[in-house]
Amino acid sequence: MTVSTTRTLPVPPGLVIAPQLPDLLLPVKVRRGILGFLRNHPTVAIGGALLLLLVLVGVFAPYLGTVDPTALAPAKRTRAPSANFWFGTDLLGRDIYSRVLYGSRVSLTVGLSVAASASLTGLAIGLVSGFVRWADGILMRFMDGLMSIPPILLAVALMALTRGSVGNVILAITVAEIPRVSRLVRGVVLSLREQPYVDAAVASGTRTPMIILRHILPNTMASMLVQATYICASAMIVESILSFIGAGTPPTIPSWGNIMAEGRALWQVKPYIVFFPAAFLSVTVLAVNLLGDGLRDALDPRMAKGL
Amino acid sequence: MLSYILRRILSTLPVMAIVALFVFSLLYIAPGDPAAVIAGDQASPADVERIRQNLGLDRPFLVQFGTWVWHILHGDLGTSIFTSLPVSALIAQRIEPTLSLMVITLILTILIAVPLGVVAAWKAGSWVDRTIMGFAVFGFSVPVFVVGYVLAYVFALEFEWLPVQGYTPLAQGFWPWLQNLILPSVALGCVYIALIARITRASMLEVLQQDYIRTARAKGLGQRSILFIHALKNAAVPIVTVIGIGIALLIGGAVVTESVFAIPGLGRLTIDAILRRDYPVIQGIVLLFSFTYVLVNLMVDVTYTLVDPRIRY
Repeated sequence: MTVSTTRTLPVPPGLVIAPQLPDLLLPVKVRRGILGFLRNHPTVAIGGALLLLLVLVGVFAPYLGTVDPTALAPAKRTRAPSANFWFGTDLLGRDIYSRVLYGSRVSLTVGLSVAASASLTGLAIGLVSGFVRWADGILMRFMDGLMSIPPILLAVALMALTRGSVGNVILAITVAEIPRVSRLVRGVVLSLREQPYVDAAVASGTRTPMIILRHILPNTMASMLVQATYICASAMIVESILSFIGAGTPPTIPSWGNIMAEGRALWQVKPYIVFFPAAFLSVTVLAVNLLGDGLRDALDPRMAKGL
Repeated sequence: MLSYILRRILSTLPVMAIVALFVFSLLYIAPGDPAAVIAGDQASPADVERIRQNLGLDRPFLVQFGTWVWHILHGDLGTSIFTSLPVSALIAQRIEPTLSLMVITLILTILIAVPLGVVAAWKAGSWVDRTIMGFAVFGFSVPVFVVGYVLAYVFALEFEWLPVQGYTPLAQGFWPWLQNLILPSVALGCVYIALIARITRASMLEVLQQDYIRTARAKGLGQRSILFIHALKNAAVPIVTVIGIGIALLIGGAVVTESVFAIPGLGRLTIDAILRRDYPVIQGIVLLFSFTYVLVNLMVDVTYTLVDPRIRY
């Protein structure tokens, strides 16, 4: 099916021509079920599959031909990648392959925990601020203040207060991410409150908690899920940056940022120490971003229009 | 309009107050006793107590906050615990490389991202659009230090076209200065370019559906003048707003970029301060960056009200 607009380009199916109109170009065949959904949204499938693979790698790291990632072997320092050491060894003779595989645990833990905790806290703050008039002003001014501190600096400042641990890294990045989620949820709540069906619910005597639960919450879920994937991606990047500059995960734990930080001094002569964690980090973040973009296109036409 | 501008300026005051309060609390709740640090290892408890009283550290939280704000308004950001130099002097020493890096990155980003976004919107749905947007996803996903190392490896180590690391002050000539900044600003700009290209495309797509674009096309205007004069001008508000908001990315990224390329700027100062837990320095930097960020965005908004007659509040 082609529709001619001002241009006479053939239009691929599913492309939104005029966002303000209902989507005329529904995919030719609407497939049902999870498999059908994945076939309709290949980015979700690719991103999801990559992410699943990395989660499996993280979970089954001990069984994938790894050795103890913290085992020192000064005699085998800075070996180039070979059949024995697939990704080579670092300054202290530790096996980089094992460290990178175990490192995926840190990145995934931080990414997923921050996504979950920032979304939930942001959801709560956004709901309160959307429904409680007097709290709205105070909460949003406070969020504006937090938002005007660049997220990485905010996380760095918080990390400077505490000792480096994975828990503290998660906490610091969560605090830095909350303002954006709260803003988003508040916006959605404010627009949903004006919907006729919410008026109808109010008119028929539904109590506020019930309105939130039945009418508001389900409608915020799509944007929240999309936002959560983006937060996950950004949290993984921030974690690696924090570790890279020495304000993140303690150096005893192999995380991608830490491996890169240790390889930094030698990167001109032994670039592979930096290369492997960098490649894994980039692919992981790419997978999460693809997943987010795909979910956004699939679930949230309002946001798909925006970016 | 004047009342809008006034209100917009006034609305940044509470934001700045909250930033200041937050940053002050950082020092207030920071572990370690500044009085004990200043007194040194040999001091008796009485000495420490005297220093604490001299510094006013025994006074209530709000009084200390007030004094601190008073000093900041007079340009006094405190004294570094580690070097005993005024924080403002430390920042002044390091500001040139960071500022240079950011300005070059900003120029580079606008020069690259806006045309890319325009072309993507023009060719929406085609392979050109898909390629550009694919690169944008890529730019979002690859962390700044990864891009930095790859660029440095390829262009500095392999081809030897540009210096690997370091910084040359502008005073020593424009070309040496620029040469050192090219790779870092490309690395730093990656995420930013992706962001601006995306928002440009989205904003352009919206404008390209307007009636006046059809009119322009109907009266036979060339594609280029439609895109860059009629459409881009009207699509500019969201683009410029996001350029302003995206400066947060530049600030965060600069810290890392400077570390990769060994640029002695504020980022380097930040990292050193964190490693030494030099709280006054951290405080000063966070405060400086946040205020700059707030002011830049204020300027963007106010400029728009002045330039764009459609914006009326």
